[in-house]
Order: sequence, then structure tokens, then C-alpha cells
Amino acid sequence: MDDKKKILIIEDDKFLLKLYSDKLIREGFNVSMAITGEEGLSKVVQEKPDLVLLDIILPQKNGFEILSALKLNPGLQHIPVIVLTNLGQESDIKTGMDLGAADYLVKTDFSITKLPEVVRKYLALAAKT
Amino acid sequence: MDEAKSEKPKISEVTSIISHQLKTPLAGIKSSLEVLLSGDLGELDPPQREYVALALDSSEKMIALVKNLLETSKIDEDRLELKRQKTNITALIDAVVSELAQFAQAKNTKIDVEIGADLPELTVDPVKIHEVIENIVMNAIRYSKGKGSVKLTLKRDGDRVIFSCRDTGVGISDEDRKKIFSKFYRSPRVMTLAPEGSGLGLYISKAIIEKSGGAVWFESADGSGTTFYFSLPIQ
Repeated sequence: MDDKKKILIIEDDKFLLKLYSDKLIREGFNVSMAITGEEGLSKVVQEKPDLVLLDIILPQKNGFEILSALKLNPGLQHIPVIVLTNLGQESDIKTGMDLGAADYLVKTDFSITKLPEVVRKYLALAAKT
Repeated sequence: MDEAKSEKPKISEVTSIISHQLKTPLAGIKSSLEVLLSGDLGELDPPQREYVALALDSSEKMIALVKNLLETSKIDEDRLELKRQKTNITALIDAVVSELAQFAQAKNTKIDVEIGADLPELTVDPVKIHEVIENIVMNAIRYSKGKGSVKLTLKRDGDRVIFSCRDTGVGISDEDRKKIFSKFYRSPRVMTLAPEGSGLGLYISKAIIEKSGGAVWFESADGSGTTFYFSLPIQ
């Protein structure tokens, strides 16, 4: 059930963090938030969310470092990570996908109205594996 | 020696930094307007919807401009990246025509497409070539006068494929001929016809086509329309 799923959003821009979290809360998800890379990584370890929404340019530890650490940890590597960033160069997308992101979305090209649908899609995929 | 002065960044670097900095607040503005328009926070009445939709449209135009500025700075620093893959150019033309159908209708302009036989798939960056076709067709519609017509063709010519876009617009003056592919150039005559536009579309299009191994050119008689062409090699 969606309403029991916990989504961790790691995003340093407070305006975007509020928009994404409010949207997911309205859709019935349980949302946790982090505004730095280190806080984000420690929340993944402590809270073991069902899915992580991850920005790349973050203070302290960037999103690629978090993704890499998470995918190397046997206890956490099953958690789907959706990268949501403004780094849209082909090389950035390749880095993210190679590191094991479930999807790579560019903020300015992505409609927030599609966020719940994308989150549900990767939760469903993770449930099957 | 003043170190700060000697390390003055290039304009393309400044453009790149500013454009990146603009993307985050723009994503926030666009997302909040989308949430309002979706009715998530309560249904809007028609005048409110109209205002929010106009603001959303403006935010999307600003995002497009920022992307063009970023692409321009990449071109200037020879960092334009192409992700080449087998591509059906006809499908790209069809996609652009369908995406611009509403705009063409609003400008009372008819679009016809004629696709030649024996067209192979090309190894190009489909996203970038879509961008080029969109730029050229958008200009053709934008600069039409009255009831316009736009004719697109795609045909094989030996070891290359040639795309053309003929319009019934204002044409290109002798004075504009040399400047039309210059960065930020906007002809004084089109400024009165369609003030929107950044003057970056053709500059970017030319760079993409040339990086893909092709060429861009045009034929125009002052006052009686223009035909833009680009060629792409068959590998």
C-alpha cells in the first residue's frame, strides 16, 4: 500500500524540497527529508526508506557519492534511487545510471504532477525483485 | 599583478554558471504553478487558471532560453555533445509537425510534408536533430504573413539526406543574409512581426548540423518567402 511507503527526499533547495514533499504527502506517502548529502546518507542508513529521491549538487557529499555508497551496501542496495537534478549533460546522466540509479530526471524538464506516478512505478518494480 | 583580474572568466563560462544558477529557482516556479494548475490545492476559477497558465507558459519560455544559453556556451567552448544513434528522420519531422500543429493553427499556417523514397536511418543525435527541425519549422510559422503555408521535404541526394522547409514569410533581406546564423542576431523586420525569440535558434542549429557532418543553407527572395535546408551524411 502506497500510504505506508516511506520516501526520503535529499534536496538542498528548500523551495523544491517543500514542493516535492507536499506533493508526495498529499498522495499519501510517508516523507522524510534531508538538506545535505551527509544528512541524506545517514537517514538512508537509519530509516531504510522504500525509495530515495536524490539531488546531485548537495553540500557536504554530492548525490553521486551517496548513490555510490548506497549501491555498495548490501543492506541498502535494493532501495530504488530516482535522481532528480538540474545536471542534465549526457555524461552526468550516464554517471548516474552507471552508478545504479533507477531513473534520472532533469528538474526543469520534469513535471511535478508526474512525480507520484514515477515513484509508484519504481516502488512496484522494486517489490517484484 | 592583480590575480583576480588575470583570472577573469570567459563570457561563455559566466553564461554557463548563471544559467545553471537560474535552473533551480525556475524549476521551483514551474513546479509550483503546475501544482496550482492541477487543482491539488483547490480548484481555480477560470480567470485564475488563465493567469496561472500564462505564468507557467512564461516560466517554460525562460527555461527554454536558459537551455539555449547553456547550449550556446557549450558551442563556443567546443563542448557540444552528440549522442549518436540510428535515427529515423521522418519520424522526427512527424513529431515536430504534430507538436507545432496548435501553434501553426493559431498563426493560420498550413504545414505540408513530402517524404522521398529510399531514405535510410541516419546515425545522428535524435534529440539535437529534433531541436534543429523544430527551430527551423518554428521560424517558418512564426514569420509567416497572414494565411501562410509551410512545405517540408526530405529526400535522398547521393550519399546524403536533404531536409528543406519552404515558407511564404517575409523573406530575408540582403542585409540579413550574412548575419542570419550569428549568435543573438534578430533581424529588425522580424522584431516587429514576432518580438519573441532569442536569436539563438539558427546559431545552435547550424552548430548541431555541422558537428553532425552536414551543412545548413537557405534560399530567399526578399519579401517572398524563404527555404531553409540542411543536409546530413548517410554513413
